[in-house]
Amino acid sequence: MGAEVTVDEEHGGRGVSIADRRAALVVFVATAKRAVRSAILWGLLFGGLIAQEALGYERGFPTAESREQMAEAFGGNSALAAVAGEGRQLDTIQGFVAWRVFGLLIIVGAVWGLLAATRLLRGEEDTGRWELFLAGRTNRRHAAVQGIAGLTAGFVVLWVLTAALTAVGGSNGKVGFSLSASLFYAAAATASALIFLAVGALASQLAPTRRQANGLGAAVLGLSLLIRMVADTVEGLGWMRWLSPLGWVENLHPLTGSQPLPLIPIVLLTAALAAMAVIVAGRRDVGAGAFIRPQSVEPNLRWLGGQGVLVVRLERWVALGWILGLGMLAAMFGVVAGVAAEANLAGDVEQAVGRLGGSEGGVAAWIGYEFMYIAALVAFATAGQVSATRGEEADGYLDNLLVRDVARGRWLAGRVAFAAALVALGGLATGLGGWIGLAAAGSGKVGIVAMLQAGWNVMVPALFVLGLGVFLYGLAPRLAVPVLYASVLWSFVIAIVGSTINTNHWFLDTSLLTHLGPVPASDLSWPAIGWMLGAAVIAIFAGLVAFTRRDLASA
Amino acid sequence: MVAAIRTERLAKSFGRTLALRPLDLEVAEGEVLGFLGPNGAGKTTTIRCLLGLARASAGRAEIFGVDAQAHPGEAHRRVAYVPGEANLWPRLTGEEALHLLSRVQGKLDSAYRDELIGRFQFDPSKRVRAYSKGNRQKVLLIAAFSSRADLLILDEPTTGLDPLMEQAFRETVAEARQRGQTVFLSSHILSEVEALSDRVAIIRAGELAEVGTLAQMRHLSALSVDATFDTTPPDLSKIPGVTAVEVQGNRVRCQVVGSVEPLLGVLAASGVHQLLSREPSLEELFLAHYGSEPAGGSGAPHGG
Repeated sequence: MGAEVTVDEEHGGRGVSIADRRAALVVFVATAKRAVRSAILWGLLFGGLIAQEALGYERGFPTAESREQMAEAFGGNSALAAVAGEGRQLDTIQGFVAWRVFGLLIIVGAVWGLLAATRLLRGEEDTGRWELFLAGRTNRRHAAVQGIAGLTAGFVVLWVLTAALTAVGGSNGKVGFSLSASLFYAAAATASALIFLAVGALASQLAPTRRQANGLGAAVLGLSLLIRMVADTVEGLGWMRWLSPLGWVENLHPLTGSQPLPLIPIVLLTAALAAMAVIVAGRRDVGAGAFIRPQSVEPNLRWLGGQGVLVVRLERWVALGWILGLGMLAAMFGVVAGVAAEANLAGDVEQAVGRLGGSEGGVAAWIGYEFMYIAALVAFATAGQVSATRGEEADGYLDNLLVRDVARGRWLAGRVAFAAALVALGGLATGLGGWIGLAAAGSGKVGIVAMLQAGWNVMVPALFVLGLGVFLYGLAPRLAVPVLYASVLWSFVIAIVGSTINTNHWFLDTSLLTHLGPVPASDLSWPAIGWMLGAAVIAIFAGLVAFTRRDLASA
Repeated sequence: MVAAIRTERLAKSFGRTLALRPLDLEVAEGEVLGFLGPNGAGKTTTIRCLLGLARASAGRAEIFGVDAQAHPGEAHRRVAYVPGEANLWPRLTGEEALHLLSRVQGKLDSAYRDELIGRFQFDPSKRVRAYSKGNRQKVLLIAAFSSRADLLILDEPTTGLDPLMEQAFRETVAEARQRGQTVFLSSHILSEVEALSDRVAIIRAGELAEVGTLAQMRHLSALSVDATFDTTPPDLSKIPGVTAVEVQGNRVRCQVVGSVEPLLGVLAASGVHQLLSREPSLEELFLAHYGSEPAGGSGAPHGG
């Protein structure tokens, strides 16, 4: 039975059917759908964060004196400038909002852009789906154009949602951003995403695998960030911002005297990278990188001695990246904690920490608050391990083990042990990193024991997430990963909301991140730790039993 | 002697779909059993239940007397499996994948592995992602055969192999058989099954339709007869056992089930000029089971 084909004489003419046109645009539609789905989530997060900062400004800094003191403390601090970028007009709401989340959004946007591009372009090649597209009514070059157009659709949605929420927050009488200023701020906050979508698109053409494309893009991002950090922290080197795409974005100066000039290199670079990606895509073989690589490689038999250690071989670099990243982030939080605590004159962080169950102020409150973000990251890393476990089954690799002398329970227990070790080392790196950061900045008001407790504190929700993930995986493997990620994201959003406004504790309790208290601003909550770990152990056990009793499920 | 494979009322359903009706099957140690059936007949479901990858809805599956559903790990100690789709970790090289699989298997004849690498003309130094489908299949074939497992369960094992490599595969199965290994060979390639199998099992709509040696199957199935006469052919349709009579001028084609003696008597009396008869090939036997009805039909036992 053939597909119905309608000849659209009026609009297409010359016998070009609607079905033909749809077939010719299938890559664009497929890529845009997935890019837009992701962009909706991140656009809401971007816009929500900006609106939250704008609406919370007056409460945090109610007097002119408190604003001046905050501007003085933040503005002159090199460590903060390295993390968040150069602060301008910090004694105004425009300057504060432009600076407070801008640096974070630039980096997160760049990471989102890079990962989205490599996932939807190179990732599709890795799985072989791109070949199916190319077997249709397109060719390598046109498919790349459509893929990049699909990514651009995702970017547009990211910008629209960010701009809409910024405009809504900005229109509040106490904020008073003009519509054009809000739209420009949203453009600036998402510009790095656009640039790194293009970087990811080109990296996807140059590298032979998604993993290597990510590595290539990460190197560009790291270099850009490093140049921007040097330019923001070393006196007299501010001109270096023009050498880094992230510096161009910073030079847009949204809300504080918008400068559209850097949009020119941003747009030119993006267009050039996209054009190069299309050209390279047209010249290389599908499934291969742009550079000829040696066909044969020396075998490396380390960590291939059995199923128990295989997880180390497969996940070691991902785990190491998380552990190092968490340690470095905690160290950065430690470095800036002292200054940030001093600048926090109105005590908004203390208030936020108080809503989450903390009682301490100063550096401890700042660390307790910031470690809530780290707890969310550790939980995401754990969800990533559950996702990787499910991937082994969905991709059919697990069959190769289970048809040999490998019991299901033993295999899953090995994966759980590895994830638990990642959580433990992540928590340890967090505690140690934070303490090193504090010590390096001379803010030794929180001791190493308290910091290790804070590290332990971020582990517990992640272990609960692990339990939940194993339970879901054992019971409903196809649902486990999306449900788990959604629960972690929900927990994070509720924790943010709960720290910003006074809410019903039932509502707050739906977050996995709010049960333990913001250590070191509070004591360890042993009852909560007890029930969370107990529940995790029971859930892991139930998941293991369910896994041994169900069919393996393909993707 | 304990059977290599024994299933007893083994059944599997997915929701309301009955994928495998109660299946009773026995494969003797040292035997090569060809397992035939069209797409969706339940071959892979049977194998996945045998290996414990899918949980049986009812019944029992044993491998060398061990309950494969209750104790899959123990059952797998004597099994090597080659799936139809070679899913291997893409970042490993062929050699790394072979090393891992042999370590997980716990048994390896390394000299034989090297011999198989040569026989299958396999380059183990490349990464799995760089291999063609056929080369990925070779990794699993080499891993399975070099384990010298007592039971080889092969599900469409030659998918993606070229004719030369398929010949190498047949040679390797023949060696395994000579060594006394048992082979459960699920395949669509009838000539392959015909050449390698001691017995053939045909599954249809989740139900075992036929099991036996090829000779038994042929005996139970129709004989093809093609006769040319000097004059107008006689009416053969009334002869007991004769079916599917086709007349083209002086030539008649028909099928005979059971004794051919009544037919030969009529032919001898009617001036037959030329007579050809032959046993049905496996393909004809297979088509006899499936050709006249769509797949997924009633599933009632057929023939025999």
